[in-house]
Amino acid sequence: MITLLKCEYEKTRRTYLFLTVLGITLIQLCWAFYGIYREESLKWGWMMFLYQFPLVNSFFLPLLSVVISSRLADLEHKGVMLKYLAVITDKKRIYDAKLIYGLFIVSLCNLISWSATILFGYIVGFSGAVPLRLYLLYLLFTIMPTIVVYQLLHALSLLFQNQAVSFFTGIIGTFIGLFSMFLPQFPILRLVFPWGYYGALQFIGMFGWTKETRMKNVYFSVMEIDWVAFGILILMGIALYLIGEKLFERKEV
Amino acid sequence: MNEIVTTTNLTKKYGDQTCVDHLSLRIRENRIYGFLGPNGAGKSTTLKMLLGLVRPTEGTIDLFSERCTPKNRIKLLKQIGSLIESPSYYGHLNAKENLKIFATLLQVPDSNIEKVLQIVRLDKHQKKAVSKFSLGMKQRLGLASALLSFPKLLILDEPTNGLDPAGIQEMRELIKSLPSQYGMTVIVSSHLLSEIDQMAEDVGIIANGRLMYQGELNQLHETDSSKSLEQIFLDLTGKEQSL
Ligand SMILES: Nc1ncnc2c1ncn2[C@@H]1O[C@H](COP(=O)(O)OP(=O)(O)OP(=O)(O)O)[C@@H](O)[C@H]1O
Ligand SMILES: [Mg+2]
Repeated sequence: MITLLKCEYEKTRRTYLFLTVLGITLIQLCWAFYGIYREESLKWGWMMFLYQFPLVNSFFLPLLSVVISSRLADLEHKGVMLKYLAVITDKKRIYDAKLIYGLFIVSLCNLISWSATILFGYIVGFSGAVPLRLYLLYLLFTIMPTIVVYQLLHALSLLFQNQAVSFFTGIIGTFIGLFSMFLPQFPILRLVFPWGYYGALQFIGMFGWTKETRMKNVYFSVMEIDWVAFGILILMGIALYLIGEKLFERKEV
Repeated sequence: MNEIVTTTNLTKKYGDQTCVDHLSLRIRENRIYGFLGPNGAGKSTTLKMLLGLVRPTEGTIDLFSERCTPKNRIKLLKQIGSLIESPSYYGHLNAKENLKIFATLLQVPDSNIEKVLQIVRLDKHQKKAVSKFSLGMKQRLGLASALLSFPKLLILDEPTNGLDPAGIQEMRELIKSLPSQYGMTVIVSSHLLSEIDQMAEDVGIIANGRLMYQGELNQLHETDSSKSLEQIFLDLTGKEQSL
């Protein structure tokens, strides 16, 4: 498997994949950090970020997944590589190697923006130390939905030569995910689509916001964590993996 | 003589269209087997079944005297090099980088890369991205990938596609030298009789998925000395088409 991963790296040379991906991550961070940091914001800084970021993530991370998965798959489709690869190695292993490689890149981006967030908090001067336990939980609840979204896109972009399929699925899914955050009256939206889980797993609530007082009396607190949703998400990820790999293995090239 | 490939009643149906119809091929060791048939006869589909790229609807395949099953498939395929329909490559990489990836996957030494580049005469175009290659150069790269592991069996589907007359001539000489130089068995498909005639020792002719003739090319010449080979071929394949 190490050899296969090394090959994946060799394949992406000169494709500017890493540059593109870093670019998107950078835009995401600028977007997320943009704002005016007054006294109240500094006081609640750490919690405020945890409250706001799932929304930003639910847009950028699926986008990142679309870019990576279809870029990696397109390499193979363009030069009709799959029919050669299928003869010299096991198709399942190709599927796995590409998946691991793609997940490694998205997770790396996740980790970069996560660390940058903490660094940023200290630089701006958020009060208190970073609530590390909450931030680790947040990291987990960000990476997991991303992995599951990626599983789906990975399968689609390898199964369909036409990358428009995975591209549009990715875009539509992203918007479903975004809408589900603004439509708490339809909780089913969050649970049916993997993109909804950024919202479903959000565990910080904002309270005390009114039109008149605005941010003045606002406070944030930890809400109940939806472990059931987390469980469903994991099952969804496993199912997508098994189905995707099986279909890819059975597909005639 | 040993049989390297034996198929029994090999059949492929797409819906209710039968593309390959109960083919029983016998391919002997260390020979060049010409697989001949008009467009759409089912040549590529048959070769893809040999390589496990397409699942047969019916029938069996024996490779190197071993029954092909999903289990031993990879092991058997390790001894086969293939070029089906069009060459496979990563367009943004150069020829050497492409072959390096394939060599790693095949677990063959890097020294093979230089060797095959020389054989297909691509050693002068090392720096160029493959997407900028001409059709003929891509075809050569495809052949180089097929040869990379110096396999026992080489399956080439219309390898002269896109080559100019000089390239065709060169490819032909190259293919002819493989059995004696490297002990390979070669299956080469074509829809042109003249091409097969100059390369192959054995020949299988199919039309509409059915095997019309199989045997030594010399014997085909002798079947009806009053007719040209071209005429025999047309008779064999035409008969089927008018059915
Ligand atoms: N995936 C598929 N689905 C449906 N029909 C197919 C498929 N692949 C091939 N066929 C049909 O099978 C028949 C044989 O095709 P094949 O590609 O094997 O012909 P061929 O002998 O290689 O022809 P050519 O000389 O043009 O390369 C054709 O009628 C083709 O339409
Ligand atoms: Mg063909």
